Amino acid sequence: MTLFLNQLINGLHVGSIYALIALGYTMVYGIVRLINFAHGDILMVGAYTAVVLTTMLGLPFPVVVVLVILVCVLFGVLIERIAYKPLRSSPRISSLITAIGVSMLLQNLALLIFTPTPKPYPFSLNIPPLSIGGLQIGFTTVLTIVVSAALMILLQVLVAKSRAGKSMRAVSEDYDAAQLMGINVNTTITFTFAIGCALAGIGSVLYGLAYPTVSPTLGSLPGLKAFIAAVLGGIGIIPGAMLGGLIMGLAESLTKAYISSRLSDAVVYGILIVVLLFKPSGLLGRRTREKV
Amino acid sequence: MNMKAKSYVLNIAALLIVYIVLSLLISTGTFNSYISGILATTGIAIMMTVSLNLTTGLLGQLALGHAGFMSVGAYVAALITKSLNMNFGFALPVALIAGGLAAALCGLLIGMPALRLKGDYLAIITLGFGEIIRVVIENLSVTGGASGLSRITRMSRAFSEDANVSSAVQFSIIFWMMVVMIASIFTLGRSRHGRAIISIRENEVAAEATGIPTTYYKLFAFTLAAFFAGIAGGLYAHQIGMLSAKTFGFNKSIEYLVMVVLGGMGSITGSIISSAVLVALPEFLRGFSEWRLVIYSLLLILMMLFRPSGLMGTKEFSLLASWTATATTLKRWLGIKKRPTKMPFTPHYDVWEDSVVLETKNLGISFGGLKAAEGIDIQLKNDEIVGLIGPNGAGKTTFFNLLTGVYMPTEGDIILLGKPINGKPTHLITEQGIARTFQNIRLFKSMSVLDNIKVAFHTRMEYSPLSGIVRDSRFSSEEKGIDIRARELLKVFNMEDVADVRADGLPYGQQRKLEICRALACNPKVLLLDEPAAGMNPIETDELMRTIRLIRSRFSVAILLIEHDMKLVMGICERIYVLNYGRVIAQGSPAAIRDNPEVVAAYLGTTEQAQTAEGDLAHAEG
Repeated sequence: MTLFLNQLINGLHVGSIYALIALGYTMVYGIVRLINFAHGDILMVGAYTAVVLTTMLGLPFPVVVVLVILVCVLFGVLIERIAYKPLRSSPRISSLITAIGVSMLLQNLALLIFTPTPKPYPFSLNIPPLSIGGLQIGFTTVLTIVVSAALMILLQVLVAKSRAGKSMRAVSEDYDAAQLMGINVNTTITFTFAIGCALAGIGSVLYGLAYPTVSPTLGSLPGLKAFIAAVLGGIGIIPGAMLGGLIMGLAESLTKAYISSRLSDAVVYGILIVVLLFKPSGLLGRRTREKV
Repeated sequence: MNMKAKSYVLNIAALLIVYIVLSLLISTGTFNSYISGILATTGIAIMMTVSLNLTTGLLGQLALGHAGFMSVGAYVAALITKSLNMNFGFALPVALIAGGLAAALCGLLIGMPALRLKGDYLAIITLGFGEIIRVVIENLSVTGGASGLSRITRMSRAFSEDANVSSAVQFSIIFWMMVVMIASIFTLGRSRHGRAIISIRENEVAAEATGIPTTYYKLFAFTLAAFFAGIAGGLYAHQIGMLSAKTFGFNKSIEYLVMVVLGGMGSITGSIISSAVLVALPEFLRGFSEWRLVIYSLLLILMMLFRPSGLMGTKEFSLLASWTATATTLKRWLGIKKRPTKMPFTPHYDVWEDSVVLETKNLGISFGGLKAAEGIDIQLKNDEIVGLIGPNGAGKTTFFNLLTGVYMPTEGDIILLGKPINGKPTHLITEQGIARTFQNIRLFKSMSVLDNIKVAFHTRMEYSPLSGIVRDSRFSSEEKGIDIRARELLKVFNMEDVADVRADGLPYGQQRKLEICRALACNPKVLLLDEPAAGMNPIETDELMRTIRLIRSRFSVAILLIEHDMKLVMGICERIYVLNYGRVIAQGSPAAIRDNPEVVAAYLGTTEQAQTAEGDLAHAEG
């Protein structure tokens, strides 16, 4: 029982990080219908930023966190403006390939600057774990779950209530109609990228605390899994990304504990396939049918 | 010598020159094993790209798991040559084919569930399946688990003591397999099967309504692509000599997708050029060592920004010509006599004597609780022009969708030529005699006008995919026959001049006409026209009326048309059914319908309301 509860909490921990990254995928997809393959690499950018700021400048943790978020947002916005914006009216596959190109570029630049040798993540939180009824929960785990939950609620409120959130929803429903209603589509899209990347920045800190090695390909695996989480929940739907992320995290940690660690990927992909086959638009997605 | 023959000769000569020069350079050792290795890798990459282009470019379905099929082929082939105790020269072909078949089987099993999805969802699910293949291989003991397979016989060592000669043999095998694969995809793409596949890319709904079994062709193209990828995988295994499942992950699939898109989706020659460049480029950049991947990814981004549709777009330069010529020559050498060509193939035409061609009995459908159509009884006789009118949302198009199997009726029967057809898939209903046009025109936009018509002849042609690939006499006779028939049909509609124009290059009125023409090419007994005059100016509408009358007099077909243009409806329909709230509220001659109070009420509200409305109008005008 304790093992099971521990795995459940582990799953929630990883799942919350996936959910944070998945939000970035899902928001961008929702608004420009682009699978932003470079999103996972923003995580890596955040991690190296933390490494540079601490080892070279010796800044304290809270300052580093703020700067990491800013750098991630800056990267995200620049990428959107330079690489994706000119392709908005091109076939969607072209922007997909561009996204892959951006992802490769970021990874290879990191490889060039920081060499392939992994570096340790500069922080760890030496706070004793909480014990609840014989259950030991690490502080990082608690922090991750609480921070992610808070951010998700905040995001949901932002999208539902704020003016910017309304613009985002309008643009994602109908790009042209939103423009005709006087919404500045470019600003809205940039804003969406910025929010997604800010979440990825926070995600990178939480990820670094959980897995404290930094390498140029750090972002690709969590990126891919977060993306799958987004699809699982219904891509373009914000609560879907959260649900998908949590399911992915739980499935992964339970398979590792009870089946085999080598099969955890297969189980994750298996869930994805089953969900898509029975509910092609994801768990929370609505089915759309082509009108004849 | 005519142009065609000239291009055959040129193509073959070019191929032979490339082959002879490269294999000489390899066998004499001028090209060392490093360069010949790059050439082999390029050849295999071209096979992968061209086969992926079959799914992504021609069929138009985004697939992200192509490397998975390659790995299946690679492992199966390697396991066979490792366990078969026979001469490598004999074992290799067996292994390659077995690898291809195993990959094709995987393609079939994956495609069956996956191809029901579209677009990004299909991409993700194929990604998932590709990764599952990788994980399975990593966890099986036969495949060597995570450490992989090693000591696979290498083609560059196995054929001769002399490494250079053996490398030259390896090059020959890869080169010619590549040529055969490319030529097959080329010729297949220009057969009735290729037209069917491309029509799905252009407009799936219209393809199904034109009689193409879309599910079958999606699966066919997907499986064939997997087969080719499996063969390429087998060659890869015996080029490299060791396998590890990690090589075939998601990134490998992406690598090939990048090549397809850079070359231009749907352009086979583009795929060839881009994979050659993308394999060779990193090698040329080796001098810049660690900068090379940075440069590579920058080039990729710039290329997409400045040429979003790839190097070649969907254009090609012709190689297929040489294939036909080779086939003919081969046949002459092998003494295969050309079968006497029957006179141009004539598609099968049904004759139906009974006068009632289509009948619905108590037909209805409900979506959730909403009854969109209810208790509809209509009859259509041979050679009759019947109108179906009613206010917006009355259920007219829903009724068409019921007739053509797009929707499944929840009650009642549809009887076509005496046989019930409810519940049958659209393409079978089309084959049995109902053809339609759409409210919003659905043409195969990037195909020529002539090819749009030819797609509709698909179900009445017979030659197999293999005939299409090798272009035998059956293929040529049927294609010749269809070409004549299709042009004849275009001539009836005064469109023979635009036969080779792209369908989306036609003016609006002509696009409507082409859609009707395509529907007629399906040889229907019943033609359904959904708002044929929508968006037409009065001159175009007049021409349309002439066209519809012409159809009735030339083709023995009953026409049921939905239309809001009352001048057209009253002008050409012999009978009219009026639909409101999913029910038939009136039927009869145009004159009777015009004076029917219930119909007037349906269009203008009840009598009192109508009067008030008219009064208001008069008041406003006054």
